[in-house]
Amino acid sequence: MILTVTLNPTLDKFYWVDALPLSLDQPEEAILIRATKSLTSAGGKGINVSTVLACHGVETVALGFLAGHTGQIILQDLLSRGVTANFVWMPGENRTNVTVIAKGREYHPLLIHEEGPPVSEEAMGIFLRKYERMVRRAEYVVLGGAIPLGCHPDCYRTLVHIAHAAGARVVVHAGGEPLAHTIAEGPFLVKPDVRAELQLGGMPVRTAEEIVCAGKKAVEQGVGACLISHHVTGDILVTRDGVWEFEARVPLTTFKNLVGADDALVGGLLVALLRGEGLVEAVRYGMAAAVATAEIEEKLCGDEAAIRRELDQVAVRQRGEG
Amino acid sequence: MRAHEFMRRDLTSVELDTTVAHVIYLLHQSGLASLPVVDEDGRVVGIISERDLIRALLPGYVDMLHSTAFLPSLDQLGRKLREIGGKRIAEFMVREVIAARPDDTDLHLADLMIRKGLKQIPVLDDENRLVGVVRRIDLLHRLQR
Repeated sequence: MILTVTLNPTLDKFYWVDALPLSLDQPEEAILIRATKSLTSAGGKGINVSTVLACHGVETVALGFLAGHTGQIILQDLLSRGVTANFVWMPGENRTNVTVIAKGREYHPLLIHEEGPPVSEEAMGIFLRKYERMVRRAEYVVLGGAIPLGCHPDCYRTLVHIAHAAGARVVVHAGGEPLAHTIAEGPFLVKPDVRAELQLGGMPVRTAEEIVCAGKKAVEQGVGACLISHHVTGDILVTRDGVWEFEARVPLTTFKNLVGADDALVGGLLVALLRGEGLVEAVRYGMAAAVATAEIEEKLCGDEAAIRRELDQVAVRQRGEG
Repeated sequence: MRAHEFMRRDLTSVELDTTVAHVIYLLHQSGLASLPVVDEDGRVVGIISERDLIRALLPGYVDMLHSTAFLPSLDQLGRKLREIGGKRIAEFMVREVIAARPDDTDLHLADLMIRKGLKQIPVLDDENRLVGVVRRIDLLHRLQR
């Protein structure tokens, strides 16, 4: 079983529009934008990973915090997608994240993200007891996304520690300080979220060279593997055994919705690992899942045949310096 | 059809030391009629339902007379609820758990619900850990297809 943790779940709302105004700086007038299509789905990194896993028939349980009417919609959506849910209910309202996608500018969407409700000490206590019970049944644990208000910045480190004590492997799919705190615990794999800040453990990750440097440092500090997105269609994997570059040979114009592609990558690679594939081949399958996801309007692609069709487009090359 | 094919994979549950007030909050939030109570190992050791909580609030004679005709008002129940709000749910839960297994048939579940007057049944694995729940509406929804 794969356990995913999403401490700050979201209801993802997507709107497709013909065009966005060139400027929003017109205070005298309201701006009306008519959507040609909209979609809603449960979200947050861990939840998205669970959704991909469930589509592949992998047993997965999603953990985290739910609140208010939005929480109820998130729960219903998850259950309808075959994900087992074990959430802590708390006061407030889960966040809604809005993505506006304009025709021809699919890889530059307009994003409006809410902060999410604060987590009380009492709710965190209930969550930790749930987590301790569930992690004993897990082969892998995925810690995904930002840490909500009220949670200590090093709470991911605690969760990695508990998972290791229970014998589970941990994937940290987060960024910034929460991720940095986990490195000393030596998680199986880290997938830094570099959307907000282009750094890992205080080191810049703007170029391929910087990514390799930061990845090697994380591995030296105990991380099993470090997977970092280099650009929209490229990822770099750093392990003790070497450095691999992955490149999806697809034109950006084929992409319809990039939200969730990173999570499809993590979900896909876990599916492949559970099938017994090695890490490099698993990342390749994950990248194919990410590309298949980006090529559809729905947030996540769980269609195995579509993912397999993309596999040939994903090239892998081991970097010379090892 | 088997329970695992149509059960609701919602593992919302409470622990033995969860308070009555928190259980009422959870029942309200989740829309469920009852909640499984789990021990430290995640095994289901009891069930707490709306009915159990109402029974805890009513004076003993109501159960005896099968009537609420002698109740002066609901204020008395409100006071009682505030009194027991901080108490552990272990005091009020039903310890005899009527549960299903993932491979039980829909017919078996319907039979259990009708015979025992249950609104929902937890589905447990071989180690009595919660893996899902089947509500009456889940069965009706399935029959309608």
